[in-house]
Formats: sequence, structure tokens, C-alpha cells
Amino acid sequence: MIETRSVRKTYRVGEQEIRAVDGIDLSIGAGEFLSIVGPSGSGKTTLLHLLGCLDAPTSGQVLIDGTDTSTLTPTELTRLRRERIGFVFQEFNLLPVLDAAENVELPLRYMKVHPAERRRRALEALEQVGLADRARNRPSQLSGGEQQRVAIARALVTRPSLVLADEPTGELDTRNTCLVIELMRDLNRETGQTFCIVTHDPLVASYTRRVITLRDGRIASDLPGEEAELACEGRPEV
Amino acid sequence: MLKYIVRNMWRRKARTFLTVFGIVVGIFALTVLGGLSARLTQQVNGARSWFTSKISVVPEGSSLFGGGEGYLPLSKVAEIEEVPGVKSAVAGFGLTLTNESSGFGSPELIVGADLTRSSDLLNLVDIGRGRILEEGDRGKVVLGSVLAEKFSAGPGDIVDLRGRAFEVVGVYRPTLSAVDGFAFISYEEALDLFRAANPYFQVEDIAATIDVLPQPGVDMEELAERIRGEVQGVRVISPREAEKQIGQFSLIFNAILLGIAFIALVVGGLSIINTMVMSVSERVREIGLKKAIGAETRSVLSEYLLESSLIGLSGGTVGTALGVVAIVLLNRATASSNVSVFAVTPTVVAGPVLFAVVLGTLAGVFPALRAARLKPVEALRED
Ligand SMILES: Nc1ncnc2c1ncn2[C@@H]1O[C@H](COP(=O)(O)OP(=O)(O)OP(=O)(O)O)[C@@H](O)[C@H]1O
Ligand SMILES: [Mg+2]
Repeated sequence: MIETRSVRKTYRVGEQEIRAVDGIDLSIGAGEFLSIVGPSGSGKTTLLHLLGCLDAPTSGQVLIDGTDTSTLTPTELTRLRRERIGFVFQEFNLLPVLDAAENVELPLRYMKVHPAERRRRALEALEQVGLADRARNRPSQLSGGEQQRVAIARALVTRPSLVLADEPTGELDTRNTCLVIELMRDLNRETGQTFCIVTHDPLVASYTRRVITLRDGRIASDLPGEEAELACEGRPEV
Repeated sequence: MLKYIVRNMWRRKARTFLTVFGIVVGIFALTVLGGLSARLTQQVNGARSWFTSKISVVPEGSSLFGGGEGYLPLSKVAEIEEVPGVKSAVAGFGLTLTNESSGFGSPELIVGADLTRSSDLLNLVDIGRGRILEEGDRGKVVLGSVLAEKFSAGPGDIVDLRGRAFEVVGVYRPTLSAVDGFAFISYEEALDLFRAANPYFQVEDIAATIDVLPQPGVDMEELAERIRGEVQGVRVISPREAEKQIGQFSLIFNAILLGIAFIALVVGGLSIINTMVMSVSERVREIGLKKAIGAETRSVLSEYLLESSLIGLSGGTVGTALGVVAIVLLNRATASSNVSVFAVTPTVVAGPVLFAVVLGTLAGVFPALRAARLKPVEALRED
């Protein structure tokens, strides 16, 4: 469903040229559950932004369902993003002045979905992540793990075919990490949505079906994951 | 969207309040001065119709609004009437209603007119109730609208002018001009009142002004020129000249108003720009996030424009409201004098509000463009 062809992203800082992503050929099929790992600075975030059409490659192509994204106008890219891709970021994921439900609604609002329908779907998505009863809470009233689950609900509310997560568990403790990953894996199994998770955490990677390791902007390895079974202690009713 | 913007503004209560307060101050000043200017315009327009429908002859060195100390000998009336084209020349003598100054605006005056020839002059203003003064009237008065209200008197009532009782025979319609504060009586009685008040002044056969009306079809400017040529020792103010004197008066005032508006514009505009630039900088990541999850450039742009115009609107509304309250209070405080100092017209209210909204929106353009042009990746990477 998403494919890159010798995609490159270079940054120029003064005289120095930084090759953040240095020629990556990658193909991700529908319904995959994969992680991207690698040392800091290896280009994980950059690659994820390229996959999510947030950034344009310096050279090479990103194809989504066969469409070369370089041929699309900025407006078309914005549309494609909000209709097909959901994002979860490491931090600063939610707008502080909106409550959980309003945060989840936001992409639907940009899609001009009717308010009643919007609200219904937002509550549905919150229920999926087990936070239906926290709909009226602002992010500051939620724990880190809960905030991240709200962000996942927001990524899911548009029913995207691809969910891109950049270190979604980076600021969570083990228990919450476990809960978040389990949530994503369950969703992947139930809905067949593709999940691509950038992570530092070997534990997270061990739960995925495919692990891509980056080093200096290149793919160092692309292996099947352990797909370890999760056993989160004290797991709440989901 | 609106709810969200308001919450964002609320998040920075102190800053929003200070910015809005800056606008409030500017708009308040603008409103109060606007009220003053509106009232002045009304007066000027009123004065215009009164002063520009006749030729005023005043002592040399005097102007339309008084100034000179001298008086005109009554003999000038006959001299003026000799000039071809003059229909009537009416000697007038004015004195203030009381000895105290009446503060701002045109004073309340007792105006004596030579009733033997004043019917045209007194008909320049529409009579509302009763009748105008006629030849031979003694102990009768016709009141301007403001004075009638002040005495709460109508035709048939008795009013006291400087200790003497007069019967009201008529009340003029409001003209929003000096005339509203006039009490018209006969020339002879006006002179009597003056002598009673100034026993050491033995005046006889004098006039303060002579109002000249032309015969039908005679050009007033040409007539004024002729009078100037034939009558010595007087100042002749033609309608055009009166217009100029009046115009100059309001010109100066409107220049001041424009200056205040400009200051409000610069100070208010800069403070909104400053606040909005800060808002955008502290919400860079937020903007990046929104764009990442599908906000179009247009919606980010309109969001920030709306926020800044909302600052303008709230500052404008509060400032104008305070201004109107101040106007009402000031008018009440000066209610004892015959004219109100300020007027509240639709322009006085809507103008400053509109001004503030336009100001807010314009000031928001630059910061909003900055926000809208942020690239999502760069915005997300910012810390
Ligand atoms: N805007 C930029 N300008 C210059 N260099 C950049 C920019 N963005 C990223 N880089 C560089 O590109 C390289 C890859 O960065 P990237 O953020 O993709 O790494 P990462 O694998 O996500 O690292 P981390 O695990 O620390 O998040 C780094 O060397 C980084 O310094
Ligand atoms: Mg990263």
C-alpha cells in the first residue's frame, strides 16, 4: 500500500550536508504491523515524515496505493493525509484547550463532517481506546498514557488505512507502554489497518511482526519480529 | 472554531486582557472625541443654516462668534437699508441669560430684535408652537427649543428673564444650533434689561449686530460687497464668509480627532501584532500538529485572523461602551448648561467598533500568514 523508491532526504547545514535518509527502498503492505528502530539520528523520524507526506523527499519517490505523491499539489496532499493516514507523535500530541472528545474530533472537523456525526464517531473512537468516560477531560487532566490513547483515538477516527506513530511510548512507563502497544495490535487485528511504529524501545519492537532497523539513513536490516504476546499487568477494561 | 479561539485567548488571560485593554483605551478616547465631534458637527450645521441665510453686520474687529467689545450705532440700520437690494436690516441686541457663564457650547442668550422689521429674520427658523414675535409685542418672548425645555414652558406660560416676567408666545423647533438657546424679545426690552444689569453703562441707540436680508433674487455675496463699499466702520460677514469661519472651526477639531485615531491605530495595531506574533510562536508545534492531521493552510490563516479580529472586536466593544457611558455621565454633569456637550449618533457608536475590528484583522494578517506558512515538519520539530 505504501512504497518508497530510493528515497533521499538531505539537510544542508552550512557547508555540511546531512543525509538523514539516504536511499531507502521499502514496501509496506496493507494490514502490516511493523516497527522502525535504530540509534538516535539514524533517520527514523525523517523517514516517517516522508511516508506520511508531511515532508517531500530530496530525491526518489513515495508511492501511496500506486500514486506518486510528488505529483500531488499541497492541497491534495493535505486531503490524502487526513483521509488515509493517522498520526501519533511522541509528545505534544493534543491541543491543550480542547477536551479529549474535541481533540479526537479535530480531523473530522477539517473534513467538514457534520457535528453530530463527528461527536458520535469521536466517542466511538474513545471507547475503542477505553476512554469513553474521560471524553470531557482536558489533556492536563489525563495521564501520559491516557493522553497517548486519546491521540491514538484521534488517529483512528478517520478510519485511515495507515497509522504512523513516532515513538508513541517514548514518554510512558512500562505498564502504559504495554497498554498502548496492545491497543494498537488489537486494532490492527480487528480492522486490518496498517501500523508503522517508530521506536527506541526493543520491548516495543519485540511485539511487532516486522522490524526495520535503520543506520545512518539506510536500512540495516529488515526482519520478522518476535510478535511476542503481551501480558500487561493491571490492564483496564477495554 | 470560535469556542476554540476564545479558549486559546483565555489561556493567556493576562496578555489578552492587556492587549484588549490597550485597544479599549484608544477606542474609548476615540468614542468620546467622536461624540464631541458629532455634537460639534450638529452645532456647526445648525449654526450654518442660521448664519448662512443672512448677512451679519457686526462691529469692526468682531467676528461671527463675538470677540470685539464695541457696538454699532443704530444709525447704521438706516444706512444699510439705503443700499440697493437690502430688504430689511434688523438691529439686534443680545445679552446672556444669566450672569454666570454657561460653560461649553453656545451661550444662552436673550436676543432683542427690532420688531418693526424682523418678521423675515424670525421666520428663518421654523416655529414649532405658537407664533413668532410681531410688531408691538411687549413682555412677550419666543423661546428656542432648548430654553423651552429648560423652563419647561410653552405658549401661555410666564418665564423669568433676568428678573422680569415674560409671557411665552411661541417656541421654535429644534435647530441643533445656537438658536435653540435663544430667547427672542423686543430690542427695546433687551436694551432695558442690559441697562438694568449695568447701571453705569448709559447706552442708547446701539446694536450688537445688524442682520440683513436681501430682496428676492439678489445675490447675497454681491450685496455684502455693496454694503461693505457703502457703509463705513462695520464688518460685513457674508454667508460664504460665515461658512468659512464655521468650517475652520470644525476643521481643527476633526484634525485632532484624526490624530487620536492615528495614535490609536499605531499603538493598538502594534500591540495586537505583538500579541499575535507571540501567540503564533508559542503555538508553533500546535500549528504543525494541526497541519499534520489535515488542517488546510486556509483554515490556519482564518483561525488566527479571527483571533486578532476578536481582540479588536472586544477592545472596540468595551471601549465604545465605556465611551458612551462616559458621554452620558458627562452630559448629565453638564446638564445644567443649555446644550449637551456630546452627542451619541450611530456613527459615534458603530465607527469605533468597526475601526477596532478592521484594525485587529489587519494587525493579524502578518502573524496569521506566518502561522499559515509554517511547514508541518519544521513546526513539529521545534521545541
Ligand atoms: N531540519 C533539519 N535540519 C538539519 N538536520 C536535520 C533536520 N532534521 C533532522 N536533521 C538531521 O537528520 C538526521 C536524522 O534525524 P531524525 O530526526 O530523522 O533521526 P531519528 O532517527 O528520528 O532520531 P531520534 O531517535 O533521536 O528521534 C539527524 O542527524 C538530524 O540531526
Ligand atoms: Mg525521531
